[in-house]
Amino acid sequence: MKASRLKQYLLSGVSFAIPFVASGGILIAVSIAFAPMTPAGPDFSRAPFLKLINDIGTAAFAFLIPVLSGYIAFGIADRPGLVPGFVGGYIAGQVGAGFLGGLVSGLLAGFLVYWVKRLRPPKYLRPVMPILVIPVFSSLIVGFVMYKIIGAPIRDIMTTIQHWLEGMNTGNQVLLGIILGSMIAFDMGGPVNKVAFFFGAAMIQKGNFSVMGACAAAICVPPLGLGLATLLNRKLWTDEEREAGLAALAMGAIGITEGAIPFAAADPLRVIPVIMAGSSVGSVIAMLGKVGDHAPHGGPIVLPVVDHRLIYVVAILAGTFTVAGLMTFIRRRAARKKPDKEIL
Amino acid sequence: MNIVAVTACPTGIAHTYMAAERLEKAGKKLGIAVKVETQGAMGIENELTPADIRNADAVVFAVGIAVQKRDRFAGKKVIEIPVQDAIKNAERALTKIKDELGC
Repeated sequence: MKASRLKQYLLSGVSFAIPFVASGGILIAVSIAFAPMTPAGPDFSRAPFLKLINDIGTAAFAFLIPVLSGYIAFGIADRPGLVPGFVGGYIAGQVGAGFLGGLVSGLLAGFLVYWVKRLRPPKYLRPVMPILVIPVFSSLIVGFVMYKIIGAPIRDIMTTIQHWLEGMNTGNQVLLGIILGSMIAFDMGGPVNKVAFFFGAAMIQKGNFSVMGACAAAICVPPLGLGLATLLNRKLWTDEEREAGLAALAMGAIGITEGAIPFAAADPLRVIPVIMAGSSVGSVIAMLGKVGDHAPHGGPIVLPVVDHRLIYVVAILAGTFTVAGLMTFIRRRAARKKPDKEIL
Repeated sequence: MNIVAVTACPTGIAHTYMAAERLEKAGKKLGIAVKVETQGAMGIENELTPADIRNADAVVFAVGIAVQKRDRFAGKKVIEIPVQDAIKNAERALTKIKDELGC
């Protein structure tokens, strides 16, 4: 199978999961922003309505992995893929296999159903295939595999990475900032990004807000930086890119790294290293400035729930200008090399 | 000749619609009837009817993600291209398809 095909399946899942990330992340951030802050985190004891908003946001967030997994399977096998995909994704969350587990369960469910769909069952069985046979058996198989075979190893991989990052947290902060920033930018909302993101979110639970603070700055840098680049020197960009730049700015402002995908898809070898550098700049500054983020979300929108806000803003700006500056430089060089050709 | 197309990008807020616009424009210029369905973040818009699909000589998927309701196109000639190609050069994409079909 072609890699581009696989990427298309994974992006289908991501595509449906993005609104859940926004809904959950932003509702949680809003609830925390208005609640009185204590050293142990936000205090909801005298703010039942904020607690309610927080609960709703948490509910939306809980769907992230099942939806991701379900729509990866949907992308491969169409409608019949949804049930085992959702079930597998839910189990991935339950066994602690997280985002990575959700990707695997989605692919597994999708390919399994795709294969079953190609069987030619006897005529009397055909009507019950899509509503009975496929959902029941594919869920059973995917569920069994997730619970009993690959769930635990994937969880172990996740915890190994977490321990490794945690170890670094007490050691070299600059290095940790670079690693987190690079991971967040590398695939713009994909598995690598989410490993760093969930690590930050898990550290919030443990009372360490600085990891999420570094992630929060890194999260918005790619779309903001690329969006800004299209504004800085408009001649270097096509009409479409300028239009996409505005969309990227909006997405960056609400902490959706995926806004950078269109740019990276068009020119990955140049864009991805640039945004990795920019996000690293942002997260290192945030790390050194002891920026803490109390919500599992990033971007300018979480400013109210951030400690050391000024440095947070500086971190985002520094990262954003790094990306915009480097991108402009690269584009200008490319434009000079082939002056007659339209810049794509 | 008649072409129906589906556009869809991962985030579904900008490129999906830009690609649709480009394909329609290019169709007009080349004298090809192009109807484009967008599958963006708002769901399916300008949905292709069964008649649209039946009457089409070819189906173009300008997509970065999987197409929804793909079974509607069973048995049709489907050409798949990246969304970026439809945005950058819709005319070239359509011309190529026209040549392939030989009409």
